[in-house]
Amino acid sequence: MRKHICLKWIFLLSIIALIDAGSKAQAQSNTVPKKQITINNAWIRPSVKDGNTAIYFTISNTGDKPDTLIDAQSNRAEIVEVHESYQMPNDRIGMRQVKSIVINPKSKIEFKPGGYHVMVLGVYKDYKIGDEFNFVLVFKRAGKLKLQAAVKDLN
Amino acid sequence: MRKAFLIIFVFLFGCRDKFPVLEDFSKDHFHLKNQNNQEILFPDFAKGNIVLVNYIFTNCPDICPLSTNNLRLIQRRLKDEKIKDVYFISLSFDPENDTPEALSKFAEIRNLDLSNWQFLTGNKPAIDSIIKKANVIAAKSDSTIFKNGRKIFSFIHTDRIQLIDALSQIRKNYKGSTANIDEIVTDVKSLQKN
Repeated sequence: MRKHICLKWIFLLSIIALIDAGSKAQAQSNTVPKKQITINNAWIRPSVKDGNTAIYFTISNTGDKPDTLIDAQSNRAEIVEVHESYQMPNDRIGMRQVKSIVINPKSKIEFKPGGYHVMVLGVYKDYKIGDEFNFVLVFKRAGKLKLQAAVKDLN
Repeated sequence: MRKAFLIIFVFLFGCRDKFPVLEDFSKDHFHLKNQNNQEILFPDFAKGNIVLVNYIFTNCPDICPLSTNNLRLIQRRLKDEKIKDVYFISLSFDPENDTPEALSKFAEIRNLDLSNWQFLTGNKPAIDSIIKKANVIAAKSDSTIFKNGRKIFSFIHTDRIQLIDALSQIRKNYKGSTANIDEIVTDVKSLQKN
């Protein structure tokens, strides 16, 4: 009888352990490995100390779930924000801050001149062509991605 | 006879049709300063030359550098093709911030060839008169205040490169940030031949 109760407990604990393992696996499948968000061709325009500039790149989401860019950061400038330039009638151009950008599964979003860009205000030193600029993009699921942008101008 | 008349007509007026006079700076004399803090009389200093001008503010992170870079590409093309007597101007519509020193730094950090390129600023009434005549709009929008109290403004502005003839008349407008380099180089050549 005692042996029977002991077997019952072992069976019960095994079931609990299986359920726990299953829930952990489920939790893991809800997080997007960082490699599902990749950033390519990051570059930044030259800027003088205290000046403003913009970073451009391509975000690719190779995963099967959407992710959202929620912030951009850098310790190389006083203010860093995600912005977009937008067209208005009569060839006028405006610029506005963007709070978040969704990158759908299996898709790319290009940050390019005249469109989305990371706006960098008040850089702490001169950035000349050939230099590198460190920055971080923060995604809702992929977390923080540390990146480097090459300083250059379009040819 | 009719054919000959048509050829003469096209010869005389064809180019004017392609490049109608949009505005005339020829009777204006604006006292401005360049990136070296030298007095420049605009447009007098450039008379006799074709001029390509863009309108910028140096705190602009995206569009103005793009338009300025397009001027750089045009300058390089014209130099490669040995086309002379063309001046370049980047005129700031933010004179409160864009001192000659700020303009000099903006050009220097980009390694621009300033042999035939002036970055111009001036007093606000003069700048406002020029941009109004050039049909360029520049309206202050968002402001940013840095930790040290420095305040800068963003602008909603016209994105423009402008072609000015040797008589200081505006002859054509292009969208500065997406300008077609080939088109502008061709237009400069056509206007020089005229």
